[in-house]
Amino acid sequence: MKLVVMLALMFLSFARTAQGQELKKEFLDPVPEDSRSTAVKVKGGTMLFLAGHTASQPQRDADLGNFDAQFKSTFDKIKNTLAAAGGTVDDIVSMSVFITDLRLVPQFSKLAKDLFKKNFPAVTYVEVSHLARPQSLIEVQPIAVIP
Amino acid sequence: MKPLLLVLLLGVLASPGLAQQREMILPVPASAYSQAVKVKGGTLVFLSGVGPVDEKGVLVAPGDYAGQVRQTWENLRRILKKAGGSLDDVVTMTVYTTERRWGDIFTDMRKEVFKTGYPSSAFVEARKLKTPGAMIEIQAIAVLKE
Repeated sequence: MKLVVMLALMFLSFARTAQGQELKKEFLDPVPEDSRSTAVKVKGGTMLFLAGHTASQPQRDADLGNFDAQFKSTFDKIKNTLAAAGGTVDDIVSMSVFITDLRLVPQFSKLAKDLFKKNFPAVTYVEVSHLARPQSLIEVQPIAVIP
Repeated sequence: MKPLLLVLLLGVLASPGLAQQREMILPVPASAYSQAVKVKGGTLVFLSGVGPVDEKGVLVAPGDYAGQVRQTWENLRRILKKAGGSLDDVVTMTVYTTERRWGDIFTDMRKEVFKTGYPSSAFVEARKLKTPGAMIEIQAIAVLKE
């Protein structure tokens, strides 16, 4: 009898542990015009902290193109990084967007809408005077939670 | 046999997801932040940048730094409450301000707000913030105690 109780408790213990790993995400108060959620609540999963990503190339003076081209190239790199960790762009829960001109935010938001079809991450847009390369218009630093 | 049962029962109760452990590492009370915050367990909340706006997104207290900081705390409180938490659950914040010389005003106001330990923080001067006329915006991560 005692053995049965012990086994049941052990099972419960393991079940609880497994349950703790299961990913639950909640996107609070979406702001569609900014392609963001006011907050994203996350329980469980594996966290991934990404570096700031830009469109920059190994050659320092490479032409990085216009804003749309830089957006695409930046997120292609982010997708690569996420894939290397076993994730996708849908796993992004938060991003800091550093931009050299806040007037580009509506365009960023429009392009981001096509990228995050269902749920928007929490986003902070900040205008900075310079990024690492003089040609860079944008740098995106995401946090992802992978199931 | 009985102690073993007790240990197993405790193991069930203390397993991940139930208890949260939190430790403020090297607090800097003079500037109302900690060098690091160590957290185990709990539910994470990632907030978008929060600024000094009313519920309709209109700037509050134009030109009044202290007034804008107060509104920003109010907005953080409201969002965290909706997420099931409070300001005390904030573990880290990046503070963007348009003039870094306002740092002392900000620090004094943060001291009044955090009573159970200071979050880690970075304080950065940004050229411009999302809401025209905003002098402050805070990007925070919270860990709820549930």
